[in-house]
Amino acid sequence: METQIDQNIAVYEPNQRQKTGFFRSLLIVAGNIRKSRELIKQLFVRDFIAVYKKSFLGMGWLFISPVIGIVSWVLMNYTGVLHPGDVGIPYPAYVLLSTSIWGLFMGFYSSATGTLGSGSAFIMQVKFPHESLLVKQVAQHLATFFIGFLMNIIVLLIFGVVPSWKIVFFPVVILPLFFLGSGIGLVIGVINVVAVEIQRIMDAFFGFLIFLTPVIYATDIASPFLQKIIKWNPLTYLVGGARDIIVYGRIDNWDKFLYATLLSLVVFIFSWRLFYVSEEKVIEKMI
Amino acid sequence: MEKDTVIKVENLSKKFCRSLKRSMFYGTVDVAKNMLGVKVNTSKLRKDEFWALDDISFELKKGEALGIIGQNGSGKTTLLRLLNGIFPPDKGKISLRGRMGALIAVGAGFHPHMSGRENIYLNGTILGMSKEEIKRKYHEIVNFADVGDFIDAPVATYSSGMTVRLGFSIAIHCTPEILLADEVLAVGDLSFVLKCYRKIAEYRDKGGSIILVSHGMQLVRNTCQRVMWMEYGKVKDYGNAQEVCDRYEDYMMKKDSQETQGIGVHINNDPLIGITKVEFLNKKNEIVNRFKVGDFFKMRIRFDCKRKLKNPIFTAGLFSTENVAVFVDYSSLGSKLNIDYIYGEGAVDLCVENLYIKAGNYQCTVTLAEGELMNIMDWREKSFHFSVVSDQSSADGMLQFPSDWKLKQ
Repeated sequence: METQIDQNIAVYEPNQRQKTGFFRSLLIVAGNIRKSRELIKQLFVRDFIAVYKKSFLGMGWLFISPVIGIVSWVLMNYTGVLHPGDVGIPYPAYVLLSTSIWGLFMGFYSSATGTLGSGSAFIMQVKFPHESLLVKQVAQHLATFFIGFLMNIIVLLIFGVVPSWKIVFFPVVILPLFFLGSGIGLVIGVINVVAVEIQRIMDAFFGFLIFLTPVIYATDIASPFLQKIIKWNPLTYLVGGARDIIVYGRIDNWDKFLYATLLSLVVFIFSWRLFYVSEEKVIEKMI
Repeated sequence: MEKDTVIKVENLSKKFCRSLKRSMFYGTVDVAKNMLGVKVNTSKLRKDEFWALDDISFELKKGEALGIIGQNGSGKTTLLRLLNGIFPPDKGKISLRGRMGALIAVGAGFHPHMSGRENIYLNGTILGMSKEEIKRKYHEIVNFADVGDFIDAPVATYSSGMTVRLGFSIAIHCTPEILLADEVLAVGDLSFVLKCYRKIAEYRDKGGSIILVSHGMQLVRNTCQRVMWMEYGKVKDYGNAQEVCDRYEDYMMKKDSQETQGIGVHINNDPLIGITKVEFLNKKNEIVNRFKVGDFFKMRIRFDCKRKLKNPIFTAGLFSTENVAVFVDYSSLGSKLNIDYIYGEGAVDLCVENLYIKAGNYQCTVTLAEGELMNIMDWREKSFHFSVVSDQSSADGMLQFPSDWKLKQ
């Protein structure tokens, strides 16, 4: 929104952001995030911790919620309605892990769509770099995720699945999920301010996508048609890779995992640019 | 941009859309174009769009205070949002030198469940202060807000006044080079308002520049050297604060007095009884609706009674534009007017020898009752208007007596 001519002068002009070069805009975004570390921290505290101040159990809910989720999956398994195919480890453990990673991806997506919305209380009153909101959203999501994830690991141990030591690479392996999820989410979030239908459509799409990704079933059970989709679905490799590194200590289809990672990175970089050029246009429509 | 200029606005324009659906549609089109790298022509109006700001140019020098006045919807707040960098311009250019602070965002982002202390850090950071800066000013902020022991209690438990005071205190301690203030002093009680005045004066002394948006003409006159009067998104007048404020007030008066008779609320409880007209007369018995402070003033209430109205009581009230009752009188009070009945057409006069009320616009409420004050037959609520003008500028208050100051030493 602003270009610095001399050190202290800020200039606002029409279509200023469009005129900013592609890589320059990425640098500006990165610089803004670096400069607003304190803001990100403060907003994180506000939205992550302060939310629990009113409840009796307080932050205990961060632990209770995943336990409830786990119990329901285990119960579903004992009813025996699902025929998952051979997944190599106890099915509940497989599903638990897969859905948790899928949830991680979806969380990246939905926290990114909520980027502008999470600052709606002051976005019309104060000028600040809005990209800091995304970082806060993602941090909040990761914090919630890791508490649940820890519980999941305990459950895995109960089922007799001992995670590979390569679990230490997990934070790196989920990076492409972050790139893809938050990349799509950022763009959808901006469009959603002016075209509110888009998020509903995307939510429905993602609700469906979980069945087109080997999350709650194994690849060998699917029909030939489904096989084809699974094969071209980058999430097959990204979700699968993150799961396999924990369970088996390796990633099958390394090459495809890398292609999918590259694709995610491209999506991510372009989404930042798209966010940068278009978000200021929708701020005035946030009424 | 010259060295001592802090804000330079050149031919600034901003458009908005009247229709919500269309606004969203245009937004979608613009966002799509932006994303695809197609240039968006922002300088043309599409259907239902209008210029909320139209070709605004001005400059603000270091240490200056500029007042922005105008009726609601004239574009003042939009202009502040553009200066603050929240909305991008559609035409023209804004150049700014130095940190911009906005007293619009009082308490922006406060979390009700967090304590005052936590909220100072949160809000201060949102307003662009660093952690060290907040730490350094923390006690000053708390003392200024005067919230006492409540500082460690959740903001949700604060009274609305305390919340505003805390928000204002944080905002004013940001020490920006340029301060944007939108109706700032509409907050808090008197002692806090005075504290704010002092703080603003202190800020000015240190060379800070202010843009003040206000409907309080006295505040604008006292604070600003220059004033910009906006109307329908355009600059209608710009110049010396005293002169522009005078012209604005005069304009508003004329505008109101053109709409004199027959507006307001009319309640009739007996169709046979009616107040037909109210006239204002001067000493020469001429009908006027403009008086000077201290003039003779006569209000003539014309009535028409198609039946006998026993023990009639007339009431008349003068109200300022801020809806303050300046003067209310009943004809029955102190047996000023004791009549058995009235019948047919007629009029009563209410005379005031010296109208020592402050210059401004006044609305008049008139009722006609039978026997008892509240047994009202006809009620014309704020239906008649007149204005009072003055040669000399007055300070605050409702009345303006001829006065003199003498020094005795």
